[in-house]
Amino acid sequence: MKSLFESLDALLRGRLTRREDLVAGRVEIPVRTLIVIGILLGVVYGVCMGLFSVFRGAEDAFLRLFATAVKVPLLFVLTLAVTYPSLYVVSAMFDSKLRHLATLRLLLAAMAVNLALLASLGPVTAFFTASTESYPFMLLLNVVFFSVAGFAGLTFLDRALKSVFEEPNTPSLPPVEREERGIPGIPGIPGMRHARKPEASRRVFKFWILIYGVVGAQMGWVLRPFVGTPNLPFEWFRQERDSNFFSALGKTLAALLGG
Amino acid sequence: MLAEFDGLLRAEGPYKVGAARVPVARFVLLLCLGGIVYGAAMGSYSMRPLQMAYSAAKVPMLLSLSTVVCLPSFFVVNTLLGLRDDFPSAMRAVLACQATVAIGLLAMMPIVLFLYASSDNYRFAIQANGFLFLLATLAGQRGLDRHYRPLVEKDPRHRIARRLWIVLYVFVAVQLAWVLRPFVGSPELDVRFFREGAWSNAYLVIFKDVLGFGLY
Repeated sequence: MKSLFESLDALLRGRLTRREDLVAGRVEIPVRTLIVIGILLGVVYGVCMGLFSVFRGAEDAFLRLFATAVKVPLLFVLTLAVTYPSLYVVSAMFDSKLRHLATLRLLLAAMAVNLALLASLGPVTAFFTASTESYPFMLLLNVVFFSVAGFAGLTFLDRALKSVFEEPNTPSLPPVEREERGIPGIPGIPGMRHARKPEASRRVFKFWILIYGVVGAQMGWVLRPFVGTPNLPFEWFRQERDSNFFSALGKTLAALLGG
Repeated sequence: MLAEFDGLLRAEGPYKVGAARVPVARFVLLLCLGGIVYGAAMGSYSMRPLQMAYSAAKVPMLLSLSTVVCLPSFFVVNTLLGLRDDFPSAMRAVLACQATVAIGLLAMMPIVLFLYASSDNYRFAIQANGFLFLLATLAGQRGLDRHYRPLVEKDPRHRIARRLWIVLYVFVAVQLAWVLRPFVGSPELDVRFFREGAWSNAYLVIFKDVLGFGLY
């Protein structure tokens, strides 16, 4: 348990994604530990989120709570699985120094950051859950918290990728050492490709964020219910398929404001 | 006791900006003291001892619980921004802010009593208390600023952490204040710790009452 927190702490402090390592194309994080931490943090938030049906005295309240606690980590795992390939292709196209496993590790780290912030907002969610009858309000509050946490995770990823795409002639390492570390693109060596401008790569990354955001949101929609309308019967997944996250978000806003 | 107040307000002695230890117990003590005294005065509107006792318990609860609920995310945000080593100082700033709010309220306790003595209008009593809370909160912000200034100078990212804290804290505190109502206690209603249907959402009520939207 202690080592779990230590790894999480190191990750949040940015000690696992140092600039020097990233420039050299290395991401050394304890993958298994991070997966365990990520799942635990997801479960914590899931419990806070699922309390809605417990407090509202819905049928099968604890089954609903359990379902939500399982679904929050699942949401992240599935989003990771769906969006990872595109991140890899995009970053490889732009001469990222990370190999596919390192890219995966980095994305995993970003998700752990995302989940840590989300879990830390858990008490706020639990408090509002306890004191709010309105289902649309809770839904929107959760959307806001997921977005805020997602934004933090992506900022973490963006900052890490900045080092990854950095032109290798800018770091302060002497050329010899850079060569030893196997950093490509050293100026003056014929035939060596120059890395493209980091700005362009990051613009493409911004585009990938859009994919990630849309997939994450829609994944949340597919896995719904999370909060769970108390007067609908318990279902693991809602059956209605002709809908998407964005139209539902609009409807929820309208329900909240317009009645 | 006065020396303690003075130390807190001027950030001197154990409350000094950047002191080695965060005097958590002292902050909590001041917060409780200010909150209890002001709360009792606040609840004295209808001269019912039970309401006074309830309000005396509620004001410190409001100040402390809202802080406790927001601290985990404040901690994570600070860590993510790379400000973890300064967290004791940030924590001191937040606690000093809350204690300052309580002491600010304590200082305005005579004003509340005077207003209660001079008017029988319940709405006015509510509004006056709202205004005094606002003033105390502004005083608290000044305390927060005093502790945050050297931090922001050291690393401008502290400004982000402070802003996020304020947004989240206000969001939670407004709702908690709503849940914990009544603080003044309408003379026409029974004395209760919580109003019936207390556990509802302040923001939706505000929307409904102030903006006239039909709601769930």
